[in-house]
Amino acid sequence: MNRVLGIELRRSAAVGTMLTLAVIGTLLIYFLEQIYFADGWMQLAMTMRLYLALLFPLALAAGAWQARREQRAMVAELFSTLPRPRAQRVLPVVLAMTLAVVAGYLTVGLAGAAWIAGTARYLPAAVFAVVGVGLLALVAAVWLGLAAGRLLPSPVTAPLLAVVGFASLLLIPGATRPHDWLGMMLSPIWAMNMPGPYETMNGLVSAAQGLWLAGLAVTGMLLLISGGWRLRVAAVLPVALGLALGAAVMPRSVDVLSAVDTRAKELVCSEDEPRVCLSRVHAGLLDEVTGPAREALTVLAAVPGAPTRVHEDTSTYSPDVFPPRQADVVLLDVEVGQDAHLENGADVVANVLIKALSNPWSCGEYSGRSDAMAAAFWLLGREPALNGELNQEAVDEAKVLWQGLAKLPADEAAGRVAALRKAATNCAVTDGALLGGARP
Amino acid sequence: MRIVSAAETAPPTYHWAVHAEGLQVRAGRRYLAVDGLDLALGPGVHGLLGPNGAGKTTLMRALATALAPAGGTLTLLGEQIGARSDLRGIRRDLGYLPQQFGFYPRFTVREFVEYMAWLKEMPGQGVPSAVQRAIDRVGLTAKADARMKTLSGGMLRRAGIAQAIVNDPAVLLLDEPTVGLDPEQRLDFRELLRDLGTDSCVLVSTHLVEDVVAACTDVVMMNEGRVLFQGTTADLIAHGGPGDAGDSPAERGYSALLRRHRAEAAR
Repeated sequence: MNRVLGIELRRSAAVGTMLTLAVIGTLLIYFLEQIYFADGWMQLAMTMRLYLALLFPLALAAGAWQARREQRAMVAELFSTLPRPRAQRVLPVVLAMTLAVVAGYLTVGLAGAAWIAGTARYLPAAVFAVVGVGLLALVAAVWLGLAAGRLLPSPVTAPLLAVVGFASLLLIPGATRPHDWLGMMLSPIWAMNMPGPYETMNGLVSAAQGLWLAGLAVTGMLLLISGGWRLRVAAVLPVALGLALGAAVMPRSVDVLSAVDTRAKELVCSEDEPRVCLSRVHAGLLDEVTGPAREALTVLAAVPGAPTRVHEDTSTYSPDVFPPRQADVVLLDVEVGQDAHLENGADVVANVLIKALSNPWSCGEYSGRSDAMAAAFWLLGREPALNGELNQEAVDEAKVLWQGLAKLPADEAAGRVAALRKAATNCAVTDGALLGGARP
Repeated sequence: MRIVSAAETAPPTYHWAVHAEGLQVRAGRRYLAVDGLDLALGPGVHGLLGPNGAGKTTLMRALATALAPAGGTLTLLGEQIGARSDLRGIRRDLGYLPQQFGFYPRFTVREFVEYMAWLKEMPGQGVPSAVQRAIDRVGLTAKADARMKTLSGGMLRRAGIAQAIVNDPAVLLLDEPTVGLDPEQRLDFRELLRDLGTDSCVLVSTHLVEDVVAACTDVVMMNEGRVLFQGTTADLIAHGGPGDAGDSPAERGYSALLRRHRAEAAR
């Protein structure tokens, strides 16, 4: 058996399947749009799941292609005279193809891991569940493909199956509306696009998806080894059972669609003072943030009532959950760039200052950004300029305000900045708060 | 060298390796290509001759358990063969080269023969040496690690024989094994047949009367689904006269038998 498995690994479509999945999957997660998995392991696991949209149909087609070998080689007559039962005969090639899709998918994971290994720290168990469901989806696909290729041994089976698989994945959301829970259970790519930094997958959802996919896989296997119509009819049982068990386990609440990992949001802090804390999922960036954050705190110290700590702003929305407002804490937005390092690291000093002089997100009042920017750069003693600022108008406005501030006597300007800081701790910053009536 | 199990050395419990009485086998849905055939074969090399359409290949398929008998009785190695019989034990002792030999082109000769040995449920530890021996016996040693798709027609035929004999079958069925072999290879093949026939029942279907005379202990001639002659090669030759068609005594015997049979059938 081991020797025959070795032969099948070398001579079946296993190696080609593995390489195809690995190469296409890797290209997709890196180059299709942008890198969505820079935040960490969960984001990588979910991004891999998203591109099952293509890998799942490919695995179906690979199975169907491989299964046609017996027909293509015209060995039916010879093999019908051999003692080993069909189920045993197909076992080595099934194993080889299963290993191929598993290895292909895990290679995509490794390729992604190489990119984020330097900064990704937080590895919750749910990551393994998300990867496990992805693997199960590919195993189910290749087994179903093998069964289809065996029952319909035609050259068009493989491409047709790929199209049907791709279309099914795309049509599930529409077909199951408004029962999103059902669509989410059936489709392994549901809710996997652009995962947020604190996103996770509910364990019960993964369990339900696993049950459904396992049922699908067993059905494929039964169809593959079936010798007669009885087993083929019986093959609907596992998939029906998987569907029923999955539906029993699957949560109905809409909340599970965007589950938040509260442990990922918990703060991890620098060891010495002044304290700089990032969410657990971004803990690997602490070294990059601590230096500039402390520099900003030093600059801020000149302002009365200055904060003494910097925390990551871990706000999540719908439902809105904000970190508590504390007078001695600046809440800093932390974004991870395409390179898995801090996005716009050069702006961190200015950003800490700006956030100290703005309303926190929890205020629900977002105006006064140009005022905060002007004040921040007045404290830094240079003209406003931000690498990562998308709103160039706000920067231009800040430049004008900054010039106005610079024209004022030093203690008058310091008083204005102090007043702005005080307003920021009370959600009272508005447009024009900095210079008020003295606007140039 | 290999270990011989007690089961292998035990005397057979059957009289004939192949025994058919009134055997009927369908080719396709309705046509009885073998119809009322009586045949008894023991150890030795038996040549199966007959014109195209005589039912040779259908008979071979039935003996190989690829087709179930539609009527009559068929006994292989003492076991009755029917649509509902458990054929697993019998099949371990069969070797079969179909007329259309299917193979996996990406496999090497060694891999394919090994794969077939596994499908024939040979015990694992003996497989590599049995595979090597089978490949050596058909003279493919130098090509053992070549892919099947790179082989010439004659080499493929020999690879097909290698897979058929790898399990030392008690009943070996070769359907047109000499197609594609050059004269030298055919001489080697006859040698191999004589060797195989010493303790197995070998049935070789062919159009080449010369091969039968050279390598077979006896001859089975078929026409229209029945056996019309079974005897030694000397008997076959004795049926021929100088007036019969053919370039050799055996060919003249063959055409004389066929002509006489057709004349009787026409009457």
